[in-house]
Amino acid sequence: MKKRGKGIAATFYGTGYGNGFPDVSKAVAEVDHDGNVNIYVCATEVGQGAKTIIIQMVAEILGLGMNDIHLISEDTSQTLDTGTAAASRQTYNTGNAVKKAVEVLKSKLLEKAKEHLKLPSLLGLEVKDKVIYLKTFPKKRVCFKDLIEEKISVEETFTAQTVQMDEETGQGAPYWPYTFSCYGVEVEVDTETGIIEVIKGVCAQDVGRAINPELIEGQIDGGFSMGLGYGIMEKLNCKDGEIKNNKFSKYLIPTALDMPELEKIIVEDPESSAPFGAKGIGEPVILPAAPAILNAIYDAIGVRFYEIPVTPDKVLSEINREI
Amino acid sequence: MINKCINPKTVEEALDILESNGKDVKLIAGGTDLVIDLRNNKIDKNILMNISKLKELRFITIDENEITIGSGTKFIEIIENQHIKEKIVGLWKACKSVGSPQIRNMGTIGGNICNGSMAADSVPPLLALDATALIIGKNKTRSVPLRELYLDKGKVDIADDEILYAIKFHRLREKESISFEKLGLRKALAIARISCSIYINLENNSIKDIKIATGALGKYPQRENHIEKRLVNKKVDEIILKDIAEEMSKHVSKRLKGRSSRSFKSIAIKGIFAEAYKSAIKGANDESHKSHNK
Ligand SMILES: Cc1cc2nc3c(=O)[nH]c(=O)nc-3n(C[C@H](O)[C@H](O)[C@H](O)COP(=O)(O)OP(=O)(O)OC[C@H]3O[C@@H](n4cnc5c(N)ncnc54)[C@H](O)[C@@H]3O)c2cc1C
Repeated sequence: MKKRGKGIAATFYGTGYGNGFPDVSKAVAEVDHDGNVNIYVCATEVGQGAKTIIIQMVAEILGLGMNDIHLISEDTSQTLDTGTAAASRQTYNTGNAVKKAVEVLKSKLLEKAKEHLKLPSLLGLEVKDKVIYLKTFPKKRVCFKDLIEEKISVEETFTAQTVQMDEETGQGAPYWPYTFSCYGVEVEVDTETGIIEVIKGVCAQDVGRAINPELIEGQIDGGFSMGLGYGIMEKLNCKDGEIKNNKFSKYLIPTALDMPELEKIIVEDPESSAPFGAKGIGEPVILPAAPAILNAIYDAIGVRFYEIPVTPDKVLSEINREI
Repeated sequence: MINKCINPKTVEEALDILESNGKDVKLIAGGTDLVIDLRNNKIDKNILMNISKLKELRFITIDENEITIGSGTKFIEIIENQHIKEKIVGLWKACKSVGSPQIRNMGTIGGNICNGSMAADSVPPLLALDATALIIGKNKTRSVPLRELYLDKGKVDIADDEILYAIKFHRLREKESISFEKLGLRKALAIARISCSIYINLENNSIKDIKIATGALGKYPQRENHIEKRLVNKKVDEIILKDIAEEMSKHVSKRLKGRSSRSFKSIAIKGIFAEAYKSAIKGANDESHKSHNK
């Protein structure tokens, strides 16, 4: 018999290394004498879209198209340390460092433009497509190339706030900021074979600000699939610290066909300390999937599982114990 | 260790090579099983002969009574065959469930049969269709019922100087059908944990003939004769499926004694068997219905 059930799970996740560990990102922003905008960071792109959103942030601040920005990343001979692409921290940490550097760069450019255009004030100066002009009188303008004889380079550092937890009491403020997620899923459990099918998912994800909604949806798809595998498929079979299930023919992860239809809800509540309010969601999008699935299994067959993955053999043995 | 690869242009050339050198030669068709064995140093022969380019092994012929599928036919070609899709539904479903599109584009039905895996998806439906293997060598051919081809785990009754040429079975007529069900742990790229295929021939709402084959429940895919005997010549309405499934379960439990998968498989077979049975009955009824309407 096929039994359906629904479950929800809500989670929160602390961005960054946390627990007092130094969490530092350094970024360099420059305009060279040809008017090129170069950004130097070391935000490893692992498919999460770090490079895209960094470029978007720079484009936003300097009024440029995405193609006008030259991003140098993942090259330690040219860049400073931006920390790891881990802990869902690149958008928040490196984003902040980049934003700081580019904003300082921008104010330097505006200062130069003010002098070049012989204006009494910075007021009303705008930057767009590598041209700085006076909004009320756009003929007053100068392009980056004509403005800059020697390249202007700005280095900035962002250090996240974190407090080490008291070892005795476990108290403290280990992370800043936090990200919140809530998923609901519907499953169908085949009581004859123990197969669990996740048939629908609704994913509400707090993102602070969605700098790139499509990337967030992609992250939710990927995160959900990882959470799904974590919850009902992926079995390492660790014995004395050694992974015994070490073949992908046996260590199963979900395929595209195992993914249910997902409805995604992007919750925007800008984080005051974040660049444009945006928080990282790389790991948060994984977290609620497995607990929501386990809750849905309980709703479907009345069995509480406290261990993952909930594989068909475990389902069958529990169902048959109940009888 | 393989130290030589041969690409024969014709089946005849291939058979010549096998006649003179057979004991040193390993055949490769799609390579989707063999390449993994090569990587794991499981092949002790030193010549690899590629038969995947031999067009003579790649065909599906459907004549008045029989369907013959060349051993080199790829799963994708079987899936795209309209007759198989509509009439030999169980075989179609099994081939469609193999691996992923990439594997189905490379893997052959001959490789699936000859690799001798207990979980080979195309084999249970072929067993239920009571298919015959056509085996050829230099100046010799022989036919072996598929159910007799398997000697042991991973071992088939094909000699060093022979190749599987094709697999042959009867066309299905009115009131005949074949079903296939597979229990995989995910929806694609899943090796069968259990598979079951059932051929049924109905007459006046009773089972005139039934052939049941299972996969992944023993050393190799096999027929379940004892269950067949319980069902043949019975009125469909009088069959208590639950009891038969229970019997199947007991049998599987006995067969898998001592294996860690025993408790899971002996329960799960009930659902898979019942599904395969129901869809075979439905298929046979639909088939008669269709021809009535003609
Ligand atoms: C990722 C992946 C997923 C898979 N999923 C499935 C699955 O879901 N279901 C399933 O059943 N299988 C699956 N397989 C196994 C494999 O794809 C099939 O068994 C396939 O049919 C093998 O055919 P092939 O042409 O690639 O054989 P090969 O690897 O070329 O050969 C297999 C064996 O058969 C022998 N052989 C081949 N042709 C002949 C012949 N004409 N005469 C005599 N001997 C011959 C070879 O010498 C070799 O020993 C999977 C494999 C992979 C890598």
